[in-house]
Amino acid sequence: MIPERIIHTSDLTKDYGSFRAVDQLNCRVRAERITGFLGRNGAGKSSTIKMLLGMIRPTSGSGTVLGYRIDDPKQSIEIRRRIAYVGEDKGLYGYMTVAELIRFTRSFYNDWQPDIERRLLDEYRLPPGRKVKALSKGMRTKLALLLALARRPALLILDEPTEGLDPVSIEQLLQTLVCAPSNGTSVFFSSHQLSEVERIADDILMIDRGVAVLDMSLEQIRENYRRISLGFSTPAPVLESICGIETMRRDGRQITILASSNAESIAQLGRERGAVDINVSPVNLREIFLETVQDDTKREQQEQHHVLV
Amino acid sequence: MYWYKCWSELRARVLLGIAAMAAACICIVYYQHPMRFQSDEPVTYATYIWKAVYNSFGRDLFVILTIVLASGGLMQERALKTVGFTLALPVSRRRAIAVRAAVGYLGVQAMALTPAIVVPLMSPYVGMQYAGAQAMKFSLLFACTGAAIYGVAYLTSYFMEGEYLAMLVTVPALMVYAALLQLPWLNRAPMLDIFHVMNGEDMPFFNETQHLITGRLPWLTLAVMLCVAGCLVLAACRRMDEKDL
Repeated sequence: MIPERIIHTSDLTKDYGSFRAVDQLNCRVRAERITGFLGRNGAGKSSTIKMLLGMIRPTSGSGTVLGYRIDDPKQSIEIRRRIAYVGEDKGLYGYMTVAELIRFTRSFYNDWQPDIERRLLDEYRLPPGRKVKALSKGMRTKLALLLALARRPALLILDEPTEGLDPVSIEQLLQTLVCAPSNGTSVFFSSHQLSEVERIADDILMIDRGVAVLDMSLEQIRENYRRISLGFSTPAPVLESICGIETMRRDGRQITILASSNAESIAQLGRERGAVDINVSPVNLREIFLETVQDDTKREQQEQHHVLV
Repeated sequence: MYWYKCWSELRARVLLGIAAMAAACICIVYYQHPMRFQSDEPVTYATYIWKAVYNSFGRDLFVILTIVLASGGLMQERALKTVGFTLALPVSRRRAIAVRAAVGYLGVQAMALTPAIVVPLMSPYVGMQYAGAQAMKFSLLFACTGAAIYGVAYLTSYFMEGEYLAMLVTVPALMVYAALLQLPWLNRAPMLDIFHVMNGEDMPFFNETQHLITGRLPWLTLAVMLCVAGCLVLAACRRMDEKDL
């Protein structure tokens, strides 16, 4: 039986020497949902995925995938038997032909679907007799996706799956992913294409410098996140931070706030402090992403500056 | 099916290795007459075969090809960026390492067997005879001592990421080993000299006049060589158990 939380991490940490790639990450990924895993380059996404798959060992903390412990080598094999994974490198054996690689991969899984394999071979126009090393980057990505999608895994983990794909293939892939939960497959994918994530994801997990900065459903994000612009007739006052304010920027007579909840109260606070122009508008994922990670970066730069001074 | 991946990776090297060993043996047999009689003191055919195949060129070629065959594995896959795909398969690292070691070692055995097939078969074409049983004994020595060399190179390849780096380290390491064997206190234990066990030189089972194996093969030494090889593969498994890839 597939647990309700297919991925569960508890204080998961990974250090590479003195560099902390993943910092006490706590997350819960729900079953039969599409979860977008977001973060900047080097935020710790790939390290997290590699820990989930047993490729690298956590420095501390723990985690489970489909109820199996990620730090137990035997249970890790069970995880890999039940999931399908496409890595960021899409590195495949160049010395095999497309057909050989499909035959090789198929031999490890009981849930292989020959009809899906044939359909994807046709859709992606992959030449079965061609060596993998002779394929273009996009074609290799398609082959990697075929090897993952031609099964009925409980969980599909994709690291930058649309990178290098043409628009038609991206569309086909997104359609496939959208249909996956109805077949009992949960999807956990990382991407820098925020518009794609916003289009298909049910849940969002955003990490920055190894720490989870956002973990909620897209529906909740759309309902709760608001941008609040407060215009003042005099230089903007300093507003105290209240519940729901994620970021606040003061610029002359203007204060711009990104709120994760409590938008009405924040607007009321602005009104009480003399705001003459109050504008509350919904925000998209891209804006949230940029505000969240950029703000963290700025804060870090300021901290470094203070240390230097 | 994991063996299929290993075989696909090693196939070219194994076949080229066998071809190289076969070509070397054919050339040695074909040019036996001028080579045997060019020196002041002509040598017998058996002595010539021993010197050319089992003591110099043939042996050195076998050692180098064995090292070449041992290179590769998960560390090299990391450099080639295919390790993610391999490690995502439901196969334990230990099994992956052991299967590759086994497939590679079968290649070493095939290369060791090549002179035992080529030399007796080719000899009649130049009017000579070389006993198949004699050649098989040398092949057995090659296969068992080759296992130890293979084990060293295999373990080294799990410490080095570059495809050829392990080879570049193993060859000088074996040269240092050969130099150390010249030390007087190591000289007293001839069975420690893999290269001599390989061709019988200075060994009680080898007739130095006829250059033929006449005594009982050193089964215990050969078994120890195989055990050493097994331990080295096990060490490679242990090394990769803890390694982040």
